[in-house]
Amino acid sequence: MNLSVLRTSRLLVPVGLLFLFVLGAGPLVAQEMSNLPASQMAGQSLRPYWHVFIAYAIAIGVILIWVISIARRLAGIEARISEAS
Amino acid sequence: MSDRGMRRAGTVLALLGLVGVGIVYWMSFFWVSTEIRQGIAQRIFYVHAPAAWTSFLAFGIAALTSAMYLWLRDERLDRAALSAAEGGLAFATIMITTGPLWGKIAWGTYWTWEPRLTLTLLLWFVMFGYFMVRSASENPDKGKRMAAVVAIMGACLIPFIHLSVILFRSLHPEPVVVKPDGPSLPADMLTTLMVSLGAFTLVFLGLFLLRYSLENMRAELDAPSTGTAR
Repeated sequence: MNLSVLRTSRLLVPVGLLFLFVLGAGPLVAQEMSNLPASQMAGQSLRPYWHVFIAYAIAIGVILIWVISIARRLAGIEARISEAS
Repeated sequence: MSDRGMRRAGTVLALLGLVGVGIVYWMSFFWVSTEIRQGIAQRIFYVHAPAAWTSFLAFGIAALTSAMYLWLRDERLDRAALSAAEGGLAFATIMITTGPLWGKIAWGTYWTWEPRLTLTLLLWFVMFGYFMVRSASENPDKGKRMAAVVAIMGACLIPFIHLSVILFRSLHPEPVVVKPDGPSLPADMLTTLMVSLGAFTLVFLGLFLLRYSLENMRAELDAPSTGTAR
């Protein structure tokens, strides 16, 4: 039983890291791909971008916190079960 | 379904949902067109609205299972309500934190006491109260019954939240998807929204199954050796 939780955690951690990577790389690639002339780039406000990135980071952050909290509690319960058996 | 099967199904659903969330992030950064009036800030919509719908789904499940728990007194229903309420609170937190970030760009303010925002905040506090009520009572059964009533009361707010933009003067835009004459979003925005809705729902259902199985295991451990966990 312990193994299944460990396996689950091992699967979830790389997926979480991959999302964090995509989240970090996304803004850079988006800016790179924008193809806007330099004259327009200078006039743009970056504030909406920050709000979007923070909102997306909050979304994935809250989900990951819930995932990690469930994984930790499952590991604790499985440890208690293996102690009891 | 056995607990082990539930955990396996939950893990698969959650992983599929997380992959879906990754696809949604890609779609909203690189694929979907930019809304002409609000610009890039409108992309918050693709996490804000699905988080809202998922939280309403979760609170709906919590209320339904709570009502059945009050009727049948089956502990499994209370565990399901607890698991759904926890997920609902997580997604409601996403909704209530991403909304003001969008509002600051669209309306010029993070918060205003307009009907939908106020009712949504009230729902968040009611569902937060669900957990406080559960743990506040010295008698666990009484705590569960009181919490079940709180969950039902919270879910009663959901129709008002949906209709508040129609019934009252509101800064919030009127519904663009769930309305009598069909969705009015452009096709690419609607596709991104639907993929996001599916991904968030899968994440919720997967984690809900894992959380429910966790409660079952805990109940089995805490039950007297001669009794059952039901």
